Amino acid sequence: MSKKRKGSFSVSRFAVYSMLGFGLIFYGVPLLWLFVAGTRSQVSLFSDPVFTIGTWAQAKETWHDLTSYNDFQILNWAKNSVIYSLGGVSLSLATAIPAGYALAVTEFPGRKSILVLTLIAMITPSQAIVLPIFLELLALGLNNTYLGLILATGFFPFGIYLSYVFFSSSLPKGVMDSARVDGCNRFQLFIHIALPLAKPVIALVAFFSFLANWSNYFLAFVLLSSEKLFNLPLGLTALINSSGALENQAANDIPIRMPEAIQAAIVVVAPVLVVFLMAQRYVRTGMLAGAEKG
Amino acid sequence: MAEVELQKVTKMFGALQVIHGVDLTISSGEFVVFVGPSGSGKSTLLRMVSGLETVSDGDVLIDGEDMTFAEPSERGIAMVFQSYALYPHMNVYNNMAFNLRLSRYSKAEAKKLVHDAARILRIEDLLDRSPAELSGGQRQRVAIGRAIVRKPKVFLFDEPLSNLDAALRVQMRLEIERLHRELDATMIYVTHDQVEAMTMADRIVVLDKGSIQQVGTPMELYKRPKNLFVAGFIGSPKMNFFDAKVSSDGSENVHLVANSKTTFKLPNLRLNANDDLTVGVRPEEISVYTSIAEVPDTHIAMTARVDAVERLGNINYGYFNVGAEELVIAQIMGHTDLDHGQQIVFGVPKAELHVFDSAGQSLTAG
Ligand SMILES: Nc1ncnc2c1ncn2[C@@H]1O[C@H](COP(=O)(O)OP(=O)(O)OP(=O)(O)O)[C@@H](O)[C@H]1O
Ligand SMILES: [Mg+2]
Repeated sequence: MSKKRKGSFSVSRFAVYSMLGFGLIFYGVPLLWLFVAGTRSQVSLFSDPVFTIGTWAQAKETWHDLTSYNDFQILNWAKNSVIYSLGGVSLSLATAIPAGYALAVTEFPGRKSILVLTLIAMITPSQAIVLPIFLELLALGLNNTYLGLILATGFFPFGIYLSYVFFSSSLPKGVMDSARVDGCNRFQLFIHIALPLAKPVIALVAFFSFLANWSNYFLAFVLLSSEKLFNLPLGLTALINSSGALENQAANDIPIRMPEAIQAAIVVVAPVLVVFLMAQRYVRTGMLAGAEKG
Repeated sequence: MAEVELQKVTKMFGALQVIHGVDLTISSGEFVVFVGPSGSGKSTLLRMVSGLETVSDGDVLIDGEDMTFAEPSERGIAMVFQSYALYPHMNVYNNMAFNLRLSRYSKAEAKKLVHDAARILRIEDLLDRSPAELSGGQRQRVAIGRAIVRKPKVFLFDEPLSNLDAALRVQMRLEIERLHRELDATMIYVTHDQVEAMTMADRIVVLDKGSIQQVGTPMELYKRPKNLFVAGFIGSPKMNFFDAKVSSDGSENVHLVANSKTTFKLPNLRLNANDDLTVGVRPEEISVYTSIAEVPDTHIAMTARVDAVERLGNINYGYFNVGAEELVIAQIMGHTDLDHGQQIVFGVPKAELHVFDSAGQSLTAG
């Protein structure tokens, strides 16, 4: 074998870096543009070069237009989004983590079938079950309520699967045995040992659940008809449609135009980025270091 | 302090039987070591004592009480694992206090017990550290500390030292022996390390394929192995074996299969004509001579070619080729001039021979 110095040119390196570069540009540039464009005026958006940076004053004015319109309705939607997401994330964590744990560490009849059902539920598109869910919530009188949407989104089979994979592969057996000798019953074993060690998968499930809830459009669209209960994706779609901001119509009085629509998009995207950065730190901390032999 | 009794204990994993009716009584305060090759069932047997593994058949008694179906925490045992198995999310103090917390000891009491245990193991300085910040030896100390905090009746160790380097292993071995003396507790210790077994054990239990081969003090096993397996397993370097055959006249005359000219008498063993035997001799019993004439009558003389000599300083191991497939190992103390290729004569003392019948059972162990 010839010794290759680090950093020397090779075809595979080149291929990897060009692919990464392409990905960065193709997916990164629109995102970058979004943040830049939020600072510009309607006129600037049409006339100036693509990456022109606008002014702070302009950005503030746009922000004011966006938030104050129609009695601060977008803030209400944001609040709703937070409620739906917190509720959905909490409920899916409260169900997915114990469920995955039970599937991974205990033996009981029907365990295999439940796993298979979980996988099937995971790959079933939400559009397919939206009608039954709608009818069910209608029957319970829960459509058009916070609780209704939260209950519907709390069902998170992907989270169960993630948690199952984590617990069946990453729980150190000796540590669990040790805790049993120390006197843990099944419940204490979960609370005192498994749960504290499960921070990475809790962060992961929370993140994916948040992502699904925060950008939940379709289910919310079907279940919610009152504008007061809209979440951000639903509200913004309604706002942009009604204001015609993206249709280049003749000027109307609605202060929602292209810059406002862009800032609204940022409002939707930014929390996802922030939550991702928070979650990934947990996912990557080596919680298990030092438990078992090096 | 408690007696541990296994009665016809059996373990099945599905259709696979890994422990075959083990009967064993371990007295109070005794240090018993389980040895055996990998997969012989040492860990499984220990885990059945601990309650971590269910018992398929038979009974486990601790302190005279039937514990066959008791939870691990009800058995008054503590266990130390090869992998240390510390709780990674708790610091050393909390690792040691975890059991006390579960048993609802008061904070002050727990603190005292943890500090007592930490003092015994000299880990008082480490109480605030997390397991990730400890060396292997320190981790194992904490694991042992965690075990002694709860004042168990029986300590169970599953290869606790095998992740440590040689020097540390010696140190921890002495430490565990000291603990055994000070706590006067019953200890069951699983290892595959000869030295640990020989030096620590009051009694050794040799396991193979899920069955007990022999139980006895280290010296009993060394001096009077009951069968070929124990003879070959206990002792390092291992016992030399020669295939032999009783002469056709059914007398006490025996000759080696590899060299029928090497004949000798084995009196008082009730041999039958044409029986196949295996005779064994420990490496340290073999002496090297310059000529056949020098070999005393009490010894069987054999000629061989030196294959290799390992010099360890105070001790040498000679590997002799006698024409059989396996080399004969001889332990030679002090200095030796032997060298590869040299033709030599060595003598095997008849009094030190171990003789096994064709089923591998010892005829000499009595
Ligand atoms: N959970 C299990 N399921 C099925 N078979 C098992 C299980 N645990 C152990 N065995 C089998 O039981 C036998 C004894 O295993 P055990 O771990 O007790 O051996 P051991 O003597 O401790 O070996 P080692 O020295 O490698 O630790 C082995 O053949 C092993 O494959
Ligand atoms: Mg083992």
